[in-house]
Amino acid sequence: MILTSANTLENKTIMEYKGIVTGESLIGANIYKDLFSGVRDVVGGRTSTYEEEIKKARDIAFQSMKEKAEQLGANAIIGLKISYDNLGGTMGNTILITAYGTAIIYE
Amino acid sequence: MNMKTDKNELIHIPEAFISIILGTASGLLTYYIFLYFKIAIFGWNLGLLFAPLVAGYVETFFAEKLIGESIGAISAFILFLVTVIYGFIIDNATLGYNIITFGSIIVIVQAAVPTLVNYFGIVVIISMLSYLTGFFKKLTDKIDNTIRRFFGKEEKEEDIVIPFDDRESNEKLNSLDFTFLTYAHPKLKYDNLGYFYTTTVLERNTHIFHLSPENVEKKHLNELKEGKDECLIKLSEKIKKAGGNGVIDLEISYILNGLGGSCFQIISSGMGVKIKEEPPAS
Repeated sequence: MILTSANTLENKTIMEYKGIVTGESLIGANIYKDLFSGVRDVVGGRTSTYEEEIKKARDIAFQSMKEKAEQLGANAIIGLKISYDNLGGTMGNTILITAYGTAIIYE
Repeated sequence: MNMKTDKNELIHIPEAFISIILGTASGLLTYYIFLYFKIAIFGWNLGLLFAPLVAGYVETFFAEKLIGESIGAISAFILFLVTVIYGFIIDNATLGYNIITFGSIIVIVQAAVPTLVNYFGIVVIISMLSYLTGFFKKLTDKIDNTIRRFFGKEEKEEDIVIPFDDRESNEKLNSLDFTFLTYAHPKLKYDNLGYFYTTTVLERNTHIFHLSPENVEKKHLNELKEGKDECLIKLSEKIKKAGGNGVIDLEISYILNGLGGSCFQIISSGMGVKIKEEPPAS
């Protein structure tokens, strides 16, 4: 499955437009992760717990979007957009990750 | 009689000073460690709470050893000033009524009435941890089910959040006889009908407090997905009414809104178009 934020695929012919596909995931506030993320930043280098969590959530959103594209019979997603929105929650730490794009069939 | 008491108190001044200095030093060291390791919850450094607490305890400990009685946790007050001045004015100029100021006030009160505040603090901390881990709910459910079993009643099922049907949602959105495009195709032939947008407002669900935090998240995500579908369907209907059959450069955004973040707003927008023919192969 090819994912691109562009509206065409280089050296490929788009045969059919299948429609919109979306994927969403939430990261909630987690007191333990938040408490120790600072310590891990110092002890274990640059990678923070939040970065890992956001990566996981982004992967879930992408996976959900790709499954929907496959369901439509598509083999690529173009015009891909991704957004991160803070939705409050306990102390304002719930983040919604949304990915969406246009599913297509290319040859 | 009074003169004698005053004299006795004056004798202990050096010990009191030592206790205050040791308490203050411990508090400052604690605050430094918390700052260095960035031990924070929701962006607020816990040193602001723990430094005065440690200072007060250390000072009281030494005062009781050296003098035989508490001298009122003066170092806790000093640390409160230091942490507030550094944390709110020097490091981050957001002095105001917030959880840290409130917490620090509790520390001061704690020095005055330690037993009462400690019990209160323990109850609050245990309650927070219990809610976040769902421990209390699991425990009460277990007790409830044990009692039900004892009386031969049917066991209560755990609160289950029905998973959102992503496949059904996908089919629904893509069978509207309407083209959603997330970009503007350079070769697409269409009549421009103008900019369209629709909004769906979701009230924050306050009736899910009994669920575990994990299920609360799932429930919120389900509601957001349903809201997004509703918003996109409304957009397609609006454009269809204007004679269109598609939207290009589609944007979907989510905003926290309302007093104290009481609702979510989902907005879908884009250029409504009447597509003359399928987007050309490229």
